[in-house]
Amino acid sequence: MTSLRISSGLAIILTVALCAPAPARGVELHTAIDRLIEDSADGMFAPPATDQEFLRRLFLDLTGEIPAPSDVTEFVANSAANKRTVMIDRLLQDDRYPRRMAELFNVMLMERRGTDPAWKRFLVDSFKTNRHWDSMVKTIIEPDLTNENEQGAGYFLTKRLEKYGQNPTDYPGLASDIGRLFMGVDLACAQCHDHLFVDDYSQADFQGMYAFVNNTFIRSDTEFPAIGQKVMKKPLEFQSVFEEEMFTTGPRIPGGAELEVPEYDSEHEFAVAPDPQSKAPGVPAFNPLHYLATTLPTASNLRFQSNFVNRLWASMMGNGLVWPLDLHHSDNPATHPELLSLLASEFAQHDFDIKWLVRELALTKVYQRSSILQTPTDNVQKAEAEYRVFREKALSSEQLMWSILKATGAESRYPIELEDEPKLEASLPTTIDQVQEHFIASFANPPREPEDEFAPSVRGSLFLMNSELVQSWVNVGGNNATEQLLKISDNKEVISSLYITVLSRAPTTVELKQMREFLVSHPDRPDAIAQLVWALLSCNEFLINH
Amino acid sequence: MNRRINHQASSQKQLCTPAQHVMSRRRLLGSTAAAGLLGMGGLGGLVQPLIADELSQSNKQVLFIWIDGGMSQLESWDPKPNTKFGGPFRSIQTTLPGIRISELMPKTAEIMHLLALDRGVTTVDNSHSAGVPRIQRGDPKDRGVIYPYFGSAVAKLMGQGNSPLPPYIWVKPGSGGFKYQDAGFLGPRYGALAIGDGQPPPNLLLPEALSHDDNAARNRLRNFANAQYAAGRNPTFGEAQSFVFDSAQALMNRQSLFSDPDPADVELYGDTELGRDMLIGRKMLEAGVRFVKVNSYGWDTHGDNFNGHASLMPRFDQAFSAVVLDLEQRGMLDNTLVIAMSEFGRTPRINGHIGRDHWPEAWSIVMTGTGIRRGVVIGETNKTGTFVENDAHDIGDFFHTWFTALGINSLETEYLNNGQPLPIAHDDCKPIKELLT
Repeated sequence: MTSLRISSGLAIILTVALCAPAPARGVELHTAIDRLIEDSADGMFAPPATDQEFLRRLFLDLTGEIPAPSDVTEFVANSAANKRTVMIDRLLQDDRYPRRMAELFNVMLMERRGTDPAWKRFLVDSFKTNRHWDSMVKTIIEPDLTNENEQGAGYFLTKRLEKYGQNPTDYPGLASDIGRLFMGVDLACAQCHDHLFVDDYSQADFQGMYAFVNNTFIRSDTEFPAIGQKVMKKPLEFQSVFEEEMFTTGPRIPGGAELEVPEYDSEHEFAVAPDPQSKAPGVPAFNPLHYLATTLPTASNLRFQSNFVNRLWASMMGNGLVWPLDLHHSDNPATHPELLSLLASEFAQHDFDIKWLVRELALTKVYQRSSILQTPTDNVQKAEAEYRVFREKALSSEQLMWSILKATGAESRYPIELEDEPKLEASLPTTIDQVQEHFIASFANPPREPEDEFAPSVRGSLFLMNSELVQSWVNVGGNNATEQLLKISDNKEVISSLYITVLSRAPTTVELKQMREFLVSHPDRPDAIAQLVWALLSCNEFLINH
Repeated sequence: MNRRINHQASSQKQLCTPAQHVMSRRRLLGSTAAAGLLGMGGLGGLVQPLIADELSQSNKQVLFIWIDGGMSQLESWDPKPNTKFGGPFRSIQTTLPGIRISELMPKTAEIMHLLALDRGVTTVDNSHSAGVPRIQRGDPKDRGVIYPYFGSAVAKLMGQGNSPLPPYIWVKPGSGGFKYQDAGFLGPRYGALAIGDGQPPPNLLLPEALSHDDNAARNRLRNFANAQYAAGRNPTFGEAQSFVFDSAQALMNRQSLFSDPDPADVELYGDTELGRDMLIGRKMLEAGVRFVKVNSYGWDTHGDNFNGHASLMPRFDQAFSAVVLDLEQRGMLDNTLVIAMSEFGRTPRINGHIGRDHWPEAWSIVMTGTGIRRGVVIGETNKTGTFVENDAHDIGDFFHTWFTALGINSLETEYLNNGQPLPIAHDDCKPIKELLT
């Protein structure tokens, strides 16, 4: 047997990342970000987004839905110089912020595998109380099972241990997902040999991660998803498919030290003995998950920092500084390496405070720029790559659902707490969870596919065009938006109200003219208004976060 | 023995499931769906865009019949009666002198002169989970990306042609929907639209309250709004989003594809699941769909192989012979490449459960239609059917052959994936001349 090879590539990156530039004293992060972006750009910057475009973007990102018409009019009318900053702070305190962040993180971490009430509670509570990212990850790996708000955190692990189809329990998948989602490294291809194309990813790195999880199992004695561990008695043995030689490793985080697997006699192998009465599994004296929970999400793990800031940047700005999001390595450097290092080190300095980072990113000029090019002849790919123009983003199925409900005024049909008998005919969903299922079926990716690219589909279009559900929201009834618009007699007013309700802005002269012609020419006014509502709900401006 | 392509580490013991291995490789180079969407006519993302332009004008189509689980070559195309592993069925004479196939295929025997049969197929994978994707991707050299299935490849290379319908439709038992996993690095747009159990996709019907005129009017409004939004912005997202609406509308316009079949057709194709799906497949081809995959499941006869095939083969025999004849009589066979195959064959050795197991070493693939020489049988297995004598053909050779039959120069055409040129078929393989006109 040969002792473990150290992955030199990782070590090199760690050193490079440590040399992150410190922002000048007293300069806030968002200012430093803008300086770095401006210094590295080569070309004209788009102007700041209009108030309406900015507000819509901010509402979608921070509350998960479009603003109400009154939000738009008040914001536009407000002449205070700092009104954008004030609005950012207001929305960070909004009740919808925890819901939106829980949805964002659920999609990011679970990749459409499903959901669980306890997991949802953990996520919502985390964003309600502004739990920091290090604490979130620690809790996901090792929740305090006596705390109701932490109980469901283990779902990240247990769901991945569930069998699907005819596949065996996917321990390798779990090991690589911990690497992908918490450290931005996809080691799956280094499972059977050193990675063929990424020099930084060695088989030993994968196997070290694998050793953390290959003794885990889903507990059957709890009412919430929870993980147990069998006793690890000896280091993991592995062999490359290309070589004869056998290697061993204890649990090890890439770039970190290998954990020695101690030998216990059978009397001492448990710190907490299994309880045959309650069927609670014991806690092994040698506890790899505890080590993972206390070592991975820390300031000394630079990959942990870079991964998160890169993912949050991608969520706010439309693209990762490192892309793909789970392929941080020396041959795939960040587009703006200094910026990534700065974000990572500042995030760690602020104790992994997610809300602080969201705020700083929202405050940047980068975030607040227009999505329309300054010069039409500009090379749009280059302008986007240099963040000289805001990059359009896909709407998640959740953002789309809340926004359509908001725009059509159908939101009130689905109270979170059901008090009365459902009002609508039974063939249609009656709860928000059921509505959600329709949106996920029509717009979300299949399970285990990350949603980090814009991928519209025909099924989504058919849903918008023909589903009974969308029709029930668009057609006049139940005091919805169409019914409200129908009460207005002046056509100009109808169209202005329509635009601000659905597209969160006033119509242009051309739009007023075109839409008025339609209204006037159509024999049936309720139908005409319903079709106008539908057309704006189904247009690109609505379906894209811009 | 046989020419074997170097499949990296393929046959070695692996901890990982191969599917997952491949999955994360796709992530490696990150297919940017949005970038792929730039070429709205399916012309973008090729090294040679002019070739693609020409191909998109081509009227060639594909009917790909996928016999999932593994049809036994010994009970179909390559019978070995009265030998050690031959099994209980006899062989019968076909319309090709000297060529005999299993007695379970009497109708196909009557059209053998229309077909091209290769009995010398040797491939690598003997598990379903790895074999199905590997074979349908043409098993190209590993370049760290997930290659598209044949249907997605054709959809990309040839586009949707003059039909407004999606270029890749998959008719299958079970669930329908939009299956974009097939597309690999080409991105979700080149995935399959699956018609499950003969049912139209969800939400295909226009709401009753809405007239066609109203529908057209509201879509004009939507297009107007899109044009307003587009000014000054990157067109990628907007065009991709509009494109899926157009495709949806095109499907809605062809609802007759899902209406009840003509009883005379049912008689011809067989009143079976496969008959029904083959018929839908023909209608799709008639409607101009570029690539139609018709799927039959349940062929994994590890136990009771002979009763299994006695029950399955007649359904295949009828539906397959019917569609080939039907296409020929409609004058469509000259433009349509028809292929029938599984992910592997079945073991000559009969196991303890009177079944046959997986056997990629020696099996058969049949084809006909555009670009394919008719009435030829090539490849030969030994007396007991265990191995291929002479030159065996791997799936990469067939991909070259089929691309060639469709007018695509498979040796020169390359995909362009984020700047990385990728051959469309295995570099070490080549078209099988004997099968081509």
